[in-house]
Amino acid sequence: MALIRTENLYKSFGELDVLKDVNLVVEQGEVVCIIGPSGAGKSTLLRSLNQLEKITSGKIFIDEELFLHREKNSTVFRTASDIYKRLLLEMGMVFQSFNLFPHKTAFENVTLAPIHVKKMKKSEAEEIARELLGKVGLAEKADEYPSRLSGGQQQRLAIARALAMQPKIMLFDEPTSALDPELVGEVLGVMKDLAESGMTMLVVTHEMGFARDAASRVIFMCDGMMTEEGIPEKIFMEPENLRTKQFINSIL
Amino acid sequence: MNIRDGTSINIPRKRLLVNCVVLVAALAACVALAFLKPPASALTERISPSFIEEAGDKYNETVYDYAVFNIARGKDLRIAAAETYIGIAGQVFSVDTGFMRPVADVLLWLPALLEGAKITVSLSIIAVFVGVFMSVFLALGKMSKFKPLSKACGAYIFFFRGTPLLMQLFFVYYGLPQISSALTINNKFLAAFIAFTLNSAAYCAEIIRAAIQSIDKGQFEASRTLGLTYAQTMRLIIIPQSIRRLIPPIANEFIMVLKDVSLVSIIALSDLTHMTRSISSSSNSVLVYIPAMIIYLIITAFFSFVFDRLEKRYSVYQ
Ligand SMILES: Nc1ncnc2c1ncn2[C@@H]1O[C@H](COP(=O)(O)OP(=O)(O)O)[C@@H](O)[C@H]1O
Ligand SMILES: [Mg+2]
Repeated sequence: MALIRTENLYKSFGELDVLKDVNLVVEQGEVVCIIGPSGAGKSTLLRSLNQLEKITSGKIFIDEELFLHREKNSTVFRTASDIYKRLLLEMGMVFQSFNLFPHKTAFENVTLAPIHVKKMKKSEAEEIARELLGKVGLAEKADEYPSRLSGGQQQRLAIARALAMQPKIMLFDEPTSALDPELVGEVLGVMKDLAESGMTMLVVTHEMGFARDAASRVIFMCDGMMTEEGIPEKIFMEPENLRTKQFINSIL
Repeated sequence: MNIRDGTSINIPRKRLLVNCVVLVAALAACVALAFLKPPASALTERISPSFIEEAGDKYNETVYDYAVFNIARGKDLRIAAAETYIGIAGQVFSVDTGFMRPVADVLLWLPALLEGAKITVSLSIIAVFVGVFMSVFLALGKMSKFKPLSKACGAYIFFFRGTPLLMQLFFVYYGLPQISSALTINNKFLAAFIAFTLNSAAYCAEIIRAAIQSIDKGQFEASRTLGLTYAQTMRLIIIPQSIRRLIPPIANEFIMVLKDVSLVSIIALSDLTHMTRSISSSSNSVLVYIPAMIIYLIITAFFSFVFDRLEKRYSVYQ
């Protein structure tokens, strides 16, 4: 069952075409890594899925339900707002720059959305938060403000915050790019645990080691198009496309 | 980021605290001295017997607040001779000579000046308080995607920032009754309150808008991906973070208003400046400006200190 499916997705910023006919499928339980040069449109693709960017045209299906259908300059279909919100919340997002709430403690960062969006009982949200903070190794830091945490701890907290909404799929946009090299490992470790627990993940990353070990499929994106995709061994060892080859050679 | 190491901001903060303590201590000392009235007998002993003798039954005595005594003798209403004495710290001094004269003057003026200061401070506080409340809606309105609302809020801000406060005040008090008698505002304080509130709402709206827009875009994005509505995002995420950034410019605005209140002279409302000017013209001396300015300084130092503490309290998560 595909948790995410896009059909003929186009996105342009003014004259600049950033996504060109993207047809992405992410099946339940898959860990899909998107790699590619800077400016390829990887972030824009992720942000289009959860509506942080307004697509120019195309269809997006979430959990096999039509979420949005736009043709150039007009919205053809948009789900009812309660369904829209439910489908939107099936995607959790982790940003490159964490975007934690600086005025809330680690614990409050995690409980805020469950309490205010899901209207969960406080005690229930707190139980989930405690469990998740333990899972990402931050049980000790529950009462700290984000500014008192290291970059790696902040990103792990951001993962816990997204997981607290119990999404079906997690979107990661270069989650380790803003981190000092020695802190990358702890975040990737949490992500690997998450992958092993069966979470569906769509990860934009420059960490080729992670893509090789954890990904069930790797997509190479270039110039707004999904140029090549396949299992990690194929993309890293015997890429077919010339651009993929060049990219792989340049980074390994 | 660099604000995080507290050392760079602690120094002026400490200095401000020291200034406040010194000013408050000086004021407290003055008041304590002034109130230590000497016993009545100390005064009578001090007055020369010849003065009372010559006066006969045309002798009268006025005791002012703050232990200033005025005695006079003369026929009918014409005063032939007068002497002023001042009681400070249990001692009675003759004021007619030397440097005690200004001290006696200040003590004489103080009640009127404090009366004026009360108007100045209360008008500033309620005008800025209500103004800030209004300005939140103005700022959100101006940022709204709903064009008519955003245009209307923009026009309001443009008008009140683009015309002199003096004219706005004048218009509220004298102009509105001419448009329609139903708009007459008889209470001068109320008229001044309306004008200052409308005006400071416009200024604060721009302050609030700037503070909200200085919040990282990522905060809105994270809130959206977590499913928070726009109102929840504002209430739970953006506005709480803006408050700390708001405090310094709002403090600035408050201190500007505190001084702008002197414009209420134009509608003859007796604020501190108005009081000072009328004392100055009746006593034929500009000395009264010195205690008046000191009172202004004490007020601004006090409020700077309060706002400073507030800012610190809202910075705990930094
Ligand atoms: N908000 C925006 N306005 C205009 N251009 C943008 C915007 N966001 C991204 N772009 C452009 O879109 C292209 C793709 O950006 P992005 O999706 O961030 O690439 P990637 O994440 O693969 O590095 C880049 O050329 C970038 O300059
Ligand atoms: Mg990117």
